[in-house]
Amino acid sequence: MARVIKQKPMTIIERLYIFEAMRGLWTTLKHAARGLFRYEQLPTISYPEGQPEINNGYRAKHRLMLRPDGTPRCVACGMCAAACPAHCIFIEATQSDDPRIEKRVMRFDIDHLVCVFCGLCAEACPVDALRMDTKKIVFEHRTREEFVAHLSDLIDWDPKDYPEDAQSQMAPGGTKNAEARKVWGMEVK
Amino acid sequence: MSNFYNMPKLPTENSPKVEIFVDDKAVMVPGDTNLLEALKAVGIETPHVCYHPYLPVSGNCRQCLVEQEGPRGRMLVIACYTPVAPGMKIYTPASSARVKNARKATQEFMLVNHPLDCPICDKAGECTLQENYMECGQNEGRLRPEYGKNYHGNPVHQFVDAKGQVRGGKHVDIGPRILLDEERCVQCDRCVRFMRSVAKDEQLQLAGRADHTYITTFPGEKLDHEYDLCVTDVCPTGAMTAKYFRFQKRVWLLSHTPTISMDDSLGANIWIDHADGKIYRVMPRCNPEVNRSWLSNTSRMAFQNFNKNRLPAIGGVKVIKEALASATGKIALVAGGECTIEDLAALRMLKESLGDRADIFGGSLKIKSEPDGIAKSGDPMANRAGFKLLGLADDNLWDLAQNVSNYSVLVCVNNNIVGDGNKSMDVIEKIPTRIVLSAFNDETANMATLAYGIRHWSEVQGTMVNSLNILQKLNAAPTCPDAELRPAYEVLSELAGNTFTCAYDAFKKAAEYAPALAGLAYDSIKSTGLHLEGGNA
Amino acid sequence: MDIIESKSWVEWLITIAKFAFCFVPVLYILLLIPMERRGAGFMQDRQGPNRSYIKIPYFGKIRLLGYVQNMCDGAKLFFKEMFAPKGVSKFLYYVAPAIPFAIIFISPCVIPWFGPMVFEWGGKAVTISGAILDSEVGILLLFGFSSLSAYGAVLAGWASKSKYSYLGSLRTTAMTVSYEVCQGISMMGLLVLAGSFSLTDIVSWQEQHVWGIVAQPVAFFCFLIATIAETGRAPFDVAEGDPELVAGFHTEYGAMHFGMFYMGEYAHICIASFLVATLFLGGYSVPFVTTETMQAHMGGSLAILCGVLAFLFLAFLHMMHRYSKKLLASKQSNKMVILQEYKLYKIVGWLAVAVFVAAGVCSWMFYNPVQTVVDGVLTNTLGAALGTALIHLLVLVVKSVFFCWVWIWVRWTLPRFRYDHIMNLGWKIILNIALVNLVVTAVVAKLLGGN
Repeated sequence: MARVIKQKPMTIIERLYIFEAMRGLWTTLKHAARGLFRYEQLPTISYPEGQPEINNGYRAKHRLMLRPDGTPRCVACGMCAAACPAHCIFIEATQSDDPRIEKRVMRFDIDHLVCVFCGLCAEACPVDALRMDTKKIVFEHRTREEFVAHLSDLIDWDPKDYPEDAQSQMAPGGTKNAEARKVWGMEVK
Repeated sequence: MSNFYNMPKLPTENSPKVEIFVDDKAVMVPGDTNLLEALKAVGIETPHVCYHPYLPVSGNCRQCLVEQEGPRGRMLVIACYTPVAPGMKIYTPASSARVKNARKATQEFMLVNHPLDCPICDKAGECTLQENYMECGQNEGRLRPEYGKNYHGNPVHQFVDAKGQVRGGKHVDIGPRILLDEERCVQCDRCVRFMRSVAKDEQLQLAGRADHTYITTFPGEKLDHEYDLCVTDVCPTGAMTAKYFRFQKRVWLLSHTPTISMDDSLGANIWIDHADGKIYRVMPRCNPEVNRSWLSNTSRMAFQNFNKNRLPAIGGVKVIKEALASATGKIALVAGGECTIEDLAALRMLKESLGDRADIFGGSLKIKSEPDGIAKSGDPMANRAGFKLLGLADDNLWDLAQNVSNYSVLVCVNNNIVGDGNKSMDVIEKIPTRIVLSAFNDETANMATLAYGIRHWSEVQGTMVNSLNILQKLNAAPTCPDAELRPAYEVLSELAGNTFTCAYDAFKKAAEYAPALAGLAYDSIKSTGLHLEGGNA
Repeated sequence: MDIIESKSWVEWLITIAKFAFCFVPVLYILLLIPMERRGAGFMQDRQGPNRSYIKIPYFGKIRLLGYVQNMCDGAKLFFKEMFAPKGVSKFLYYVAPAIPFAIIFISPCVIPWFGPMVFEWGGKAVTISGAILDSEVGILLLFGFSSLSAYGAVLAGWASKSKYSYLGSLRTTAMTVSYEVCQGISMMGLLVLAGSFSLTDIVSWQEQHVWGIVAQPVAFFCFLIATIAETGRAPFDVAEGDPELVAGFHTEYGAMHFGMFYMGEYAHICIASFLVATLFLGGYSVPFVTTETMQAHMGGSLAILCGVLAFLFLAFLHMMHRYSKKLLASKQSNKMVILQEYKLYKIVGWLAVAVFVAAGVCSWMFYNPVQTVVDGVLTNTLGAALGTALIHLLVLVVKSVFFCWVWIWVRWTLPRFRYDHIMNLGWKIILNIALVNLVVTAVVAKLLGGN
């Protein structure tokens, strides 16, 4: 049902227009003066030389977390693909060589042209393998195929870029990798 | 545990109706069955793990608890092993909190040491435990994290994982086709009962006691029965997994097409599970009169060759038509057992259009064996009863072999007469024009002067009559590798000059030849088939 | 020959040099385009176009505070292919943009750029008018030229063979006619007060009495609105209302054809702002200071002028410094390139400050021309007269630039009027107010005993 919003009738001053116009002129003058005399305070970012600050919660390009031995944590369960509303995740699984690990991901493709960056995949991941915290928001490629991030692309990240994240530090190259590797290497009976 | 005598009695159409009281409401249920089936008949689903309609009742999972009013008050009983008695009073969770709690507690116990493997488990999505959990569990884990889930099964397979937990028994190789995950096993012993009472070959056993129970084969033995893949079907969890399907596809991504396996005259009912135009697996489809819930490994694994070595449809029907028209001598029309009723109707129509010059031959040179009593009749010619129904000869290939010199044209439909391990049919080389309509580029097609690809039976709609004289319906799975390929009945009817545009046209034509089919529509054939009156099987 | 010999060579030189004022509107275009684009940006909290640059070897990139963008656009317009759509009236199509462009050079003739120069030369008192053509009916001429530019739009619309262009030109025609009436009538009161059609007389009347904006405030507003409408700028730009008419009368024009319309529009703003400044803001007259006082203290006046300019440069330097600081702290990857360019501006700025301060101090200390009475007229030296003219000219430029800014300001503030609203405003409101204003002015003037 349509809702009728009663509008306040205009006063005589407003109906005269000229005073309201002057109020508008005053507003724009203030902004223009700010631009001229406080040019450095304009919110514009000179992209691409200047990049915006990305907050921690921002859903940017995906990455796959790594185990201490450098293999992707992903167990190819397909939960992310099932949760994906855009159907842009393609996963193929295979048997793992590690006797303690059943399933290993063989193909993990994310088509970033189709992706809507909703973050449901990262939410769905049962092993915290898929994250969207790379803060990479710029996707520039020449062909459509290059927009598809493959497994090798997704696991290619540096723990130094995530200094505050303990999980990332357990990956090879991280500060906690050595001790995590010690626990990881616990021998099979 | 279980024995041969306690097979569950399943309700039939002729079951006597008795009145029982469910949640204080009177309902009429089949009287000669157990309570679980009776409740199912009135639409009340009871969660169960160990109960299987075609396996002896074991009653060890205690998941199907209901309350029954007895002389000593209301007692919890298992629905699967309680026979229906007139006037009995039953309480389900709809009215009884006690039943609800009991089921929930049972569920919780069952999951105590069950690993959280669902993301990597191939059963996830069709797992009985998952369904039961959603229906009657939904409890939070009450185990303290320092204990975690522990494995107490076969000590040989134990290991300590990266988090320091005792795990074990992952992917134990118990046979050429099956992998066992002892951790996921809930000891329902369905597989043991299947091997004992259905396969009649006790290859699996439960070993150990109580918490330490685990499934195993005898030392040094393997699980290698013809029906061993049925074990993966009956397994309510992901403990038994088939190697061929392991990690291939998540099951919720599969589409299912109900059809008939056309490699045996029993015509086992199957689901073709496919995704993206590719068949991933074939599952038995429950038909109480035909194959129950079982399917032989041969039928099950046959799909792996369905899209291989296919014959392309090159040249068009016009060339065949010209070859037939220019033929001077007699024409031999050979049909194979994989031909559906529709194909046969089109073939008979083609014979009539060719007149007296044409003779129809049918039959299979494959070795016929005895029925195994589970899901195979042993007759490799699937639609033999259909041949008889349409008045076609079903076993006269030898006549052709002896009289090849009489014929100048051979039209062979869906029948690999040369390649079936029998050299006797090589004489067809003497026939100058050899036209082969086949799905595969097989030996007969290689011998042909004119080979034309048609659709495989998994990709066509149609009907067949099995050895029990049941008319069964095939549905087309969208897995045809080449859109150019057409069903055999379409090609044959075009040769006859009266093109069928759909399978039902051909079926109506078949009804003209076989009065038993008259007045039938595809919709009137149930998924479990239709008994034909006065059949020839 | 008599005519030539009737004046000395200095008189001739100055008279001919005055024709350079014909090019003032063209210079204003160069000023107005960046002012409009970056002004619009600032009003909308944007930066405006500032990304184009010229690469200088061994130095880096210079952006000239965004001015390079306008150079690029101009070059692009200039080098684009000029073509006419199929089926247009070729002659009119090509002539139409030339009309507003030609008027750019004609209109400045009657505007008084500075007060009459009176100086002593060769023992005689020489007087040179501030306008190129000091006509008795200067303002009528100016109106005539100004109205001519409407023909450009009308012909363009007619010749383009496009319904959008045609509608646009129809609207232009009706609107120009309507608002010229308002414009003329609203200005009449001032003419009654000044008693002359000559712009020089009007300015000198304002110099002696009060500015037109004080004497005739209502007329000023009416005139300003009518003039904005006359130039066809927002909020009165229905002639090229993009949502309805694509681009109005110049839909079918591209390249330098369009460029000429574009320049004509800005030149029209320039002329109109000069007119408003001349009629209502005292033209070239310096506020609160009479020309005589200024001439008597010429050194001091020039010193104040230099001081003002030096102050402006200092303000510019301050802004540069502040922005450099912010930029240096930022993570922008090309900041060093920009900072190097700013360094250049800072050097230029400090040089300018030094020059102006030095010039100001020098003129204050050492420049003290004497006034003499020749032929009963108080005359100055040639230098003092030129200095006066310079100050007058700069004052006029400041006033007109302010009004140019008003044009831009109004455009980026007020939404476009509907066509019938424009007509209502013109005929039913402004015209009536202007008429009442004229009658009241005439009666009051008569009662107060004017001429």
